Amino acid sequence: MGLRDDVERFREVGEQRREDLAEFIQYGDLGQSRPGEIKIPVKIVSLPEFAYDQRDKGGVGQGDGGTPDVGQPVGQPQPQPGDGDDDGDGDEPGEDGGEHEYYEMDPEEFAQELDEELGLELEPKGKKVIEEKEGPFTDLTRSGPDSTLDFERMFKEGLKRKLAMDFDEEFLYELCKVEGITPREVFEWARGKNLPVSMAWVEEAHSEVDDERGKWASIEAVEANVERESVQQKIRREGIKHVPFRREDERYRYPEIIEEKEKNVVVVNIRDVSGSMREKKRELVERTFTPLDWYLQGKYDNAEFVYIAHDADAWEVERGDFFGIRSGGGTKISSAYDLAAELLEEYPWSDWNRYVFAAGDSENSSNDTEERVIPLMEEIDANLHAYVETQPSGNAINATHAEELERHFGHDADDVAVAYVNSEADVADAIYEILSTEGESDE
Amino acid sequence: MSKINSNADRFRKQVIAGELEEPVDEARNLAQKLGLEPYPVNYWIIDYDEMNELIAYGGFQSRYPHWRWGMAYDRQQKQGQYTGGKAFEIVNNDNPSHAFLQESNTMADQKAVITHVEAHADFFSNNEWFGLFTSGQADEGAVNAAAMLERHARAIDEYMSDPEIDRAEVEKWIDHCLSLEDNIDQHQVFERRLEIDGPTEQLDEDLAEKLDELGLSEEIKGEVFDEEWLEKLEADDEQVTFPEQPQKDILAFVREYGKQYDEESGRGVEMEPWQRDVLDMMRTEAYYFAAQKMTKIMNEGWAAYWESVMMTDETFAGDDEFLNYADHMAKVLGSGGLNPYSLGMELWEYVENTTNRREVLERLLRVEGISWRNLTEVVDFNDVLEALEPPEAIDTITAETLEALEDVPEAWIDREALERAYEGEIDVDRYPWKVLSETGLARRHYSLVKPQNRGFLARVSQNELERIGRYLFDDARYASIEEALAAVDYTAGWDRMFDVRESHNDVTFLDEFLTEEFITENNYFTYEHSAATGQFHVASDAAEDVKKKLLLQFTNFGKPTIAVYDGNYNNANELLIGHQYNGVMLDLGQARATLERLFELWGRPVNLLTIVKEVNEHDIEVAKRRNREPEAEERGKLIRYDGTETTIEDVPWEEVEHLAADDVDYDTKPDEWLA
Repeated sequence: MGLRDDVERFREVGEQRREDLAEFIQYGDLGQSRPGEIKIPVKIVSLPEFAYDQRDKGGVGQGDGGTPDVGQPVGQPQPQPGDGDDDGDGDEPGEDGGEHEYYEMDPEEFAQELDEELGLELEPKGKKVIEEKEGPFTDLTRSGPDSTLDFERMFKEGLKRKLAMDFDEEFLYELCKVEGITPREVFEWARGKNLPVSMAWVEEAHSEVDDERGKWASIEAVEANVERESVQQKIRREGIKHVPFRREDERYRYPEIIEEKEKNVVVVNIRDVSGSMREKKRELVERTFTPLDWYLQGKYDNAEFVYIAHDADAWEVERGDFFGIRSGGGTKISSAYDLAAELLEEYPWSDWNRYVFAAGDSENSSNDTEERVIPLMEEIDANLHAYVETQPSGNAINATHAEELERHFGHDADDVAVAYVNSEADVADAIYEILSTEGESDE
Repeated sequence: MSKINSNADRFRKQVIAGELEEPVDEARNLAQKLGLEPYPVNYWIIDYDEMNELIAYGGFQSRYPHWRWGMAYDRQQKQGQYTGGKAFEIVNNDNPSHAFLQESNTMADQKAVITHVEAHADFFSNNEWFGLFTSGQADEGAVNAAAMLERHARAIDEYMSDPEIDRAEVEKWIDHCLSLEDNIDQHQVFERRLEIDGPTEQLDEDLAEKLDELGLSEEIKGEVFDEEWLEKLEADDEQVTFPEQPQKDILAFVREYGKQYDEESGRGVEMEPWQRDVLDMMRTEAYYFAAQKMTKIMNEGWAAYWESVMMTDETFAGDDEFLNYADHMAKVLGSGGLNPYSLGMELWEYVENTTNRREVLERLLRVEGISWRNLTEVVDFNDVLEALEPPEAIDTITAETLEALEDVPEAWIDREALERAYEGEIDVDRYPWKVLSETGLARRHYSLVKPQNRGFLARVSQNELERIGRYLFDDARYASIEEALAAVDYTAGWDRMFDVRESHNDVTFLDEFLTEEFITENNYFTYEHSAATGQFHVASDAAEDVKKKLLLQFTNFGKPTIAVYDGNYNNANELLIGHQYNGVMLDLGQARATLERLFELWGRPVNLLTIVKEVNEHDIEVAKRRNREPEAEERGKLIRYDGTETTIEDVPWEEVEHLAADDVDYDTKPDEWLA
């Protein structure tokens, strides 16, 4: 209970009642959204009540510096003082009071939902190395702060060394007491048993027990009577205190360096703004490009957008202006790709995922497509090149840009997509066509 | 939204609360001195988020769970983001009242809110329309609104948490009830139960009960003992029509006789206990909030008026805070259109000024040689105003001028306070009003001599003078104007205001006090829709037209009046409601949608009789060409919803004639207006 629950519940209800995503993209009002916050209308029916017909009811207005003349139109009714214990009474007369709230999505959620809706599987690739993150402390070095000293390793090394170097000193002393034995004979016996003993040690031990020599008649007698102790037994008896620590065994741990690749994307939106691109065509471009932008923004960690408008020349514009611009002039699509190539230098292919989306009505200067655009498209490295043809009235005779691209790159190219949008109903398919093209290349 | 306040947060609020302690106490003292009788008020210091939460919850800290509150909060928050919206004041009608002060307000704002709140609390406790909700209860003084809403919240939360009950179903049921929240009888004392003479024999229900005992499945029941069969049985009995009188409280009616519609069996079945309970709660809340809706202009105006007396006239805002306050006031009163604060405040000032003027004129008309015929000629109003000025002794009161008070009438003085002031126990420089009585304060703030009202006395029309003169009780005569003015009762204005605040609601208030002068000065006009042009046009600037239109917006919450006419319509337990037509037709789209909601609470077909205006297309075409308004024809309609479809059929005029009122006309279209 409580307002927090109510807000959550409202989100739930909003989620259920929000417009279907494909519907929204194709026919909805995209203009309510801002980058980073996609607003999808939720149909909340305001509660009906017995009310007067707004038209028949009329109302009271207040003139601004004088009473207006009788008969003068007054435009929209002013808010009335009796209205609104609950606001939002602005129902249209005669309708049963539909009201729009908005369900808000961030681009991540949008991308996820669109994946589900359209069955997309675009996996963004990490590119630019953005930072070296410290991983776990798994690499070792010979010096470092005490706190990072790998003591466990040093102990193990010491133990190994002891195991390798230690030998049963007591037994060798006894051996030196054999009648008439020479240091060399002791040394050779020990070496024969693989004891890691030095000649110098044997000689010293031999001289130490000079006066006891003759205790044993032979090596065999010693072997028969003196118990030998293995190194393992010895360590057990002496304890690990005698495991020697050596400087050379000291190792300091330091963190592993992990290269974190940020998923960067730069999206180039190119639009033909020439005279032939009339209102309807522009709208269709906006309808197609906007969700693409949102989608890629949601898929990548860092998305940058470049907007290029062109007629016979190309120039870079701000997003706010991009869909509204109209110009006269002819059309030369290659001008836009020239500019794109130049602008993309800032986004090296090694570090950036690149998408180059162009849209227009397929009209182009003669031979420009074949001689200039296609070579440029092949030259500009990108995850995907796409061309969206918008022709609400069907094909114009000279409009062959899309066709030529398709003829050249073929239908199954994995980095070039061509889509046709003749009406709102084609938008979702076009988006699917474009976004699924790159997916194929990953197989 | 309960939030864990950090200690720092709590501490900050405590500091603010500490600073506000004195203003709160003194505002209460001042309010009482002025004659107000507010409920006790608990003040809460809250932050911006908490304020938004309260606004979403309609001014209370807890309400029943429903996603609509969440929506309201979401909207509220966003509005705030874009507009930096600032709520100055929330106070709820409760005893004790609760008022909320936003911690970020300036001291001047806080004081303004506090004085405003005290006046609201006075209105809550004294207006009789508020009394309708409480007077049905055993303990009349106790509103206990916060506790009641909290109780509702808990009860509904429990229903929602019940695994047997679907949360969404409860929310939907609440919505059905809310659709009809204005269909109550707000002019009656709130009764928990409604006593209506129901059908004498509830054959249908009894039978249904017996069938239930047989343990038959719904399917078999539906096939064998279907509605038709039951109806036939019942038809043999005498026909039952109820209620005897049209019943405006639709929520009460469906609570007593309604059923829920069971989708599976396709018929109305008894409501679940939770459904009836929720319906009860929604109806109770509707009654509780009704008084507020009925007195918006009065109540806001009342609070604005007393706030202004306390803040401006009694300089409750310190000198340093006053600019801040004036700015705030200008914003509140200046926001355009017919805003309830300024409209209400102007009307209250009008009540005060006219009463005071009348009092003065009645005195003057009793002077030898003065009659309504010659008053304006023989009386110099400037001299009169000068005589009415408060004497210096009570106009300016400081610690040094206390002695001067000994020369004014004892009735103006609060003797005990004055003695304490002599002792230095009262800070007179700061709170000069403390040494005066209510009468003294009325003298000190006499309305007719305030700069903005100085012309009011002289503006009296000959008509009004005549009216006053003709009905004057000739109970006293004065030898001179001076003598007459000495007898003036300076509390007349306030006394009248107190009376009005007790008995009026917005409709009667506007009807009685909205003057032609006010309407003309503010350039008000009415507009009407033209079928010929498809637009709204200015229709009239005549005061009576504007008033008529305005009253339409306040009468019955500004909603059409609908009442239950038959709970056994067609002799088949259908519901018949009727729209009491006053010349303005229903929004048919909404009416249909509301009928669908009502069906859920009745469980059987619902019918609505109404009158609509129809204009035929041909007439519109002709009218367009001639720049005229086509003539609309009034027709009776029966709208019926049976659970699956809505039908609308014409009915003969005789069947709706009783619904049409012939003594009201809200149409302000002139004959020639589109030329």
